[in-house]
Amino acid sequence: MVIALLGVPIAQAIYYSMTNWNGLTATWIGPSTYTRALHDPIFWRVLENNGLLLLAIPFAIGIPLGVAALLNEHVRGWRFFRSVYFLPTAVSWVVIGMVALQFFALDGLMNKMLADIGLGSFQTDMLAGQRSALVALAITFVWSMLGTNTIIFLTGMATLDPTLTEAARVDGLARRQIFFRVTLPLLKRFIQFSFVITMISAFSALFSLIFVMTGGGPGLGTTTLEFFVYQAGFAQGQFGTGALYGIILFVIMIVVGLVQLRLIRSQDGEGW
Amino acid sequence: MTAAPAAPASPADVRRSRGRARKRALNGWVFLLMAVVAVVMLYPFYFLLDNAFRTQTQFDQQSGHSLAGWTQLFRDLPVGSELLNSMIVCAASIAIILLVSTTAGFAFAKLRYRGSGLVFLLVVAALMVPLQSIIIPEYVNLAKYSLINSYVGAILVYVALGTPFATFLMATYYRGISDELIEAAVMDGLGYERTFLQIALPLSLPAIATVTVLQFIQIWDDLLVGLLFLQPGQRTITVGLAALSAGRTTSIPALMAGSFISAVPAIVVYLIFQRHLVKGLTLGMGK
Repeated sequence: MVIALLGVPIAQAIYYSMTNWNGLTATWIGPSTYTRALHDPIFWRVLENNGLLLLAIPFAIGIPLGVAALLNEHVRGWRFFRSVYFLPTAVSWVVIGMVALQFFALDGLMNKMLADIGLGSFQTDMLAGQRSALVALAITFVWSMLGTNTIIFLTGMATLDPTLTEAARVDGLARRQIFFRVTLPLLKRFIQFSFVITMISAFSALFSLIFVMTGGGPGLGTTTLEFFVYQAGFAQGQFGTGALYGIILFVIMIVVGLVQLRLIRSQDGEGW
Repeated sequence: MTAAPAAPASPADVRRSRGRARKRALNGWVFLLMAVVAVVMLYPFYFLLDNAFRTQTQFDQQSGHSLAGWTQLFRDLPVGSELLNSMIVCAASIAIILLVSTTAGFAFAKLRYRGSGLVFLLVVAALMVPLQSIIIPEYVNLAKYSLINSYVGAILVYVALGTPFATFLMATYYRGISDELIEAAVMDGLGYERTFLQIALPLSLPAIATVTVLQFIQIWDDLLVGLLFLQPGQRTITVGLAALSAGRTTSIPALMAGSFISAVPAIVVYLIFQRHLVKGLTLGMGK
């Protein structure tokens, strides 16, 4: 059944992607649809957005790493903090987007805060600009990934042998040095895992957020590949084009997955 | 602060107490930082609740409270029936996912048959398929069998999306149960079916809980599938809310109230089953 509902559609999608299809009639065109797409400036504009979203990933991983390191000190109430940070995981992107929309609005909280700290001249309507809207989207994304990645790193840190950091401390390494030279290298595997999760989310889980926050706009400012599939297919009725972009997205994901697998394999081989 | 008292104190003592003081100060800073992050994470929820109890003008001025948002929400959105829709879709999808993933997971872990490795690989590969890549053909297929006018279409899609990971998780869990136990039970004449039902299934309750919680949150919070495969009358609360916000007609407080209502069930499930959720996430690493 899984194959019927996942495998067959993939094959169909590949077929449809080579047709000119408006939902009623499909005319076979052939692989030239792909070369045409590659010459389409809209495609590159959309892909550019996906690329720019990648820039958010270091933040989506770096911040949780720091947070996890602090939580791992087990200060009073760290369990409570952990639950709080993870909370957005339970909340739908629709709700998150709804609140983010108010936060970034021209008379929203962000601009009010800017005014309060005397930076009133920096007030902007972030969602009105193509680039700034994407930044707003990325910030919201980083915010909601914080809990997930923190949990991954905490789990990783729990698997570490405490005698290692102890030994490093005896050897006279400062805390920061211990973190960067001992803990971080040992967490490599977990960092890779969180990279995959974050990237998959950035490329294929943001539909609802985009739908609620920007609707892909202004212009094509926040239209990523996954949103474009919906736009082309269901909003404009160009099912063939939509399917084609779906396939491109699929290929990107597979490539990322394979590279990832390679990395993990080669490391296991070295036995780090 | 760190000066040694009049009583004779060795340099080591001094150093230790100084170290302790520094540790305490450091913990204080860490705590403060954690608290700041907590505020950043929690403030949106406070904002949500606070502004749900306002009228549009009160929202603009950010002062005063009222129930107007709620009355408007209930007028614009069939909250009750949409919550019910969410429940129906979630329950049916999860039931099928559990049925498939427990049996399939057990088979992959404990039974050897020709090609089982290959089939398992296919299931894992299915994990990589992004929903957007298949959604258009899926839509056309289900429309062909006119399944998009009922819950069935959406449920099937949720099942197809959720089953690979659930099966993977269950198989991982069943591998952890010793083969001897299963074989002993089969030897005792239980047969594979009853061994599965009476021994393996009860043992795997924690994994079942993990799958249930993960899927519940995923399906409850989903927009895309529900938006495309459910007719307005069968919309889940999340979809209804998104549609409402796209309509631009309602006031922000009403949207905030709706957000709150739609978020509560998932948050409650999260708070109760937090541990299982975390386990599911980290099990995915395949250690």
